[in-house]
Amino acid sequence: MGMQDTAIVGFAETKIVEQSDRDVWELGAEILEDLLNSTGFEKQEIDGLILSSSMTGAGNCFWSQTTADHLALEVDFCQTVDIGGCSPTGALARAAIAIDAGLCTTVLCLFADTQKAESNQRPRSFQQEWQVPQGLLGPPTSFGFISSRYDHQFGLDLRALGKLAVAQRDSAVLNDLACEKLRKPITVDDYINSRLIADPVRLLDSVMVCDGASGLLITSKKNAARKGLTKIVTPIGYGERTTYRASESMVDVTDTGHRVAGAKAFKQAGLSPKDIASIHPYDDFIIAIMLQFEMLGFCKQGEGAAFIREHEFNHLGDLPLNTGGGQISAGQCGLAGGGTNLVEAVRQLFGEGDKRQVKNTKNALVTGIGGIPYARNWNSSVVMILTPNG
Amino acid sequence: MNTINDTLNIERDPPKWRSFSKPFWDATREKKLIIQYDKEVGKYQFFPRPTSIYTGKKSNLEWHEVSGHGEVYSFTIARRARPPFQGHEPFFIAVVKLPENVNVMGNMVNCSIEQMKIGLKVKPYWAPLSNGTHLLMFEPE
Repeated sequence: MGMQDTAIVGFAETKIVEQSDRDVWELGAEILEDLLNSTGFEKQEIDGLILSSSMTGAGNCFWSQTTADHLALEVDFCQTVDIGGCSPTGALARAAIAIDAGLCTTVLCLFADTQKAESNQRPRSFQQEWQVPQGLLGPPTSFGFISSRYDHQFGLDLRALGKLAVAQRDSAVLNDLACEKLRKPITVDDYINSRLIADPVRLLDSVMVCDGASGLLITSKKNAARKGLTKIVTPIGYGERTTYRASESMVDVTDTGHRVAGAKAFKQAGLSPKDIASIHPYDDFIIAIMLQFEMLGFCKQGEGAAFIREHEFNHLGDLPLNTGGGQISAGQCGLAGGGTNLVEAVRQLFGEGDKRQVKNTKNALVTGIGGIPYARNWNSSVVMILTPNG
Repeated sequence: MNTINDTLNIERDPPKWRSFSKPFWDATREKKLIIQYDKEVGKYQFFPRPTSIYTGKKSNLEWHEVSGHGEVYSFTIARRARPPFQGHEPFFIAVVKLPENVNVMGNMVNCSIEQMKIGLKVKPYWAPLSNGTHLLMFEPE
């Protein structure tokens, strides 16, 4: 299929900070320059721009156009992808499709958000009418529901969840671009003893909203070869599902759209979970990682804790996980946060993981989670499998 | 007994309804719970939508009054909140499964932390809002 004829030729990311004193477009400019420098492309060769959602950009109905204008990119394809935390990986999929369809040849996928410094979100959704009157904090409350229900159905193993939190934190310590506040090692006991936010969700279960940007440069394999670029990463499988089980009124909140998105991605890639060399799942809350292991078929539903006990997740382990720290330990760059784990996967496949380089770079699996609906788990689920020089 | 706020003293703005949810809020003036029902498939849905989640046909929808008795499907204790709830934590937010096979969220009154559990049988409790409508909460049966 066409997506497999495309190549990621470069990745870039800014330092993640608690609150940016630089404008979101300045962060975008930093990503652009880094990509031009690392790939040797000229700005004029970029003829596509795809942005992720952005809380800073949210007040602007012309977000992709005005960003193209500020970066002076003259493009034949310009859009924002608005499926929440799935937007960065969704943007990459759309870039590959646009290139394959001949709409453009080289796309900048830019994920930039300064939610902490400047949030312009004013969501038109069910929330104002059906959640705000009950005092919902938003995602932590919803993950409180998910976690309580998981505990009721399968039992919640805090030590297993803590093991994930510790592994990600250890990786953040090795990642110079992770938010400094989070680069301190933690123990499983620290995780368990961290204060409750929305029972049983704890502080160390949760992401901290930060500011930052990341990006990818994508072109056709043919164009990459013409430019003499041998180091490339290719998407070989992709699945996306929004409003999973929308036509049912009662759903199991521990069953997510990753079940179908994952099956599709694995089928396209011709791989199964045991073939995956490193995994970079979307992590807004620690339990989301365990749910994704279950939904992607790494283990059965309800058996995530046993799976976690059996594997090692740091960069030298048998299943390296979010080796940059994930969003929970590197910081969540608002709605651009889905770019953090995606870019980390690409970095690893480029062999540029430095102190945290994984040994097995045959492939990497990346996911997204986007949007929190009423009394369900999440709105969008994406799964992508990448290979180097595919 | 661990104390938990029943949230009844928190001044909250009445929600703004949409054209398709107005009947729900109108019914709460008389403390009646009505939910949408697709007459073609014989199934209920909540929260109110502009169309049937089952068939995509808005003309299939009817409003049916239901008892509001149900059982806790899941819950959380909010330890952090935004205004006007900030400073009033902790409080419950429950997801309640009604016999009509829909989940409805609400705060809990007259319920202790020790008493709260998934499967707890609950009934509606209507908290007055400043515009004459009521907010649906729940209390143990």
